[in-house]
Amino acid sequence: MKVLLTTTLGEITLELNSEKAPKTVENFLAYVESGHFDGTIFHRVIKDFMVQGGGMDKDMNSKSTRDSIQNEANNGLANEYGSIAMARTSDPHSASAQFFINTNDNAFLDFSSETQDGWGYCVFGKVVDGIEVVISIEEKPTTTRNGHQDVPEETVEIEKAAILEEE
Amino acid sequence: MTTLFVSDLHLSYRRPEKIALFKRLMTGPAVKADALYILGDLFDDFWIGCDDDHPPNQEVMSILRDYSANSATQLFIMRGNRDFHLNQEFANATGCTLIEDPTAIMLDDKRVLLMHGDTLCTDDVKYQKWRRFITHPIIKWIYFIMPLSLRTKISRDVRGYAAEAVQKKAPEIIDVTETAVLDTLKNFGVETLIHGHTHRQARHEIKFNNTQATRFVLGEWFEQDCVLVHDKTTFRFERVDDYIKECKLTR
Repeated sequence: MKVLLTTTLGEITLELNSEKAPKTVENFLAYVESGHFDGTIFHRVIKDFMVQGGGMDKDMNSKSTRDSIQNEANNGLANEYGSIAMARTSDPHSASAQFFINTNDNAFLDFSSETQDGWGYCVFGKVVDGIEVVISIEEKPTTTRNGHQDVPEETVEIEKAAILEEE
Repeated sequence: MTTLFVSDLHLSYRRPEKIALFKRLMTGPAVKADALYILGDLFDDFWIGCDDDHPPNQEVMSILRDYSANSATQLFIMRGNRDFHLNQEFANATGCTLIEDPTAIMLDDKRVLLMHGDTLCTDDVKYQKWRRFITHPIIKWIYFIMPLSLRTKISRDVRGYAAEAVQKKAPEIIDVTETAVLDTLKNFGVETLIHGHTHRQARHEIKFNNTQATRFVLGEWFEQDCVLVHDKTTFRFERVDDYIKECKLTR
């Protein structure tokens, strides 16, 4: 299953792994189909770490989300360069809509045990096209806005997220 | 390229020797450093504003002002739990840059996270609730609308409460929690964390998920005689007094 993110800096194609992260992919697709991601921004960008988005609009207001989902990080998928994973709070099962794309091999984010500290972040797919767009997002100079750090000075918006028809 | 980190100076008129040492640091090695980070609790008594004449507020501000004028060092100050209310007026008056808690900086091309440390004490639920209240922008705004006399009165009550509360708490609550530390390291994607607040000076090596991370805890600056020096790609703890003497010798 592929999803196309059309951003102000170009297109990113994601291939989602519903076999290894069924609930996470289902949840993500539901947000895609409802248009939730349209008009959200990459609001947290840290070079050589990750770019995060899908939760706030360009005025830095959080969009409302559905209930959070079970963490499926114990699926064997690693937070490698180019993978997409769910963002969450310190509660292991608090992911809802926000996601991040790893721009480094971030092994320390992987699942290690079913404990608060060990749950890690659930990887549910990877970038298969447009990694250069992710790189250009990652390199944007950032600032602090509305109390949030690492916000790109120049807004990077997800204009549209859509499921790609299978060929 | 030398960077210095200190925290928990707790400068107070009741301890003139602390202020004397601070002056020596700020007219000595701090002048030659490329950057100096003060990671919170510069003051011992709850800081209530630039207009407060209660010593040593004006004296400390003057030391910082002179320092900024006489040295090329970048001075960064983070708010602690005794000085939650340091504001832009303070920054303008002293020539420092106020930095948020937490803030990531680059050292040797690696990201290092700086915090005061109080937000890592997540077992202290009561304190975290109080902290959310007192640091809320609306509360800050209301606070500074109040006249100095009222701010002084409130802060006296807060100081008394805080001292009593600390005495009653179990030591386990007052230290940082491992969960909060790991969460923070992951969330910010850093392998080095520097903080103060707990006065438990140490260097902790943390292993998790095939990653090696280091947590430096800055001691209570005066009582534990502690400055963290970063130069030539390594970190080392130095005794403040020794470091001042050492810097004099190498001039």
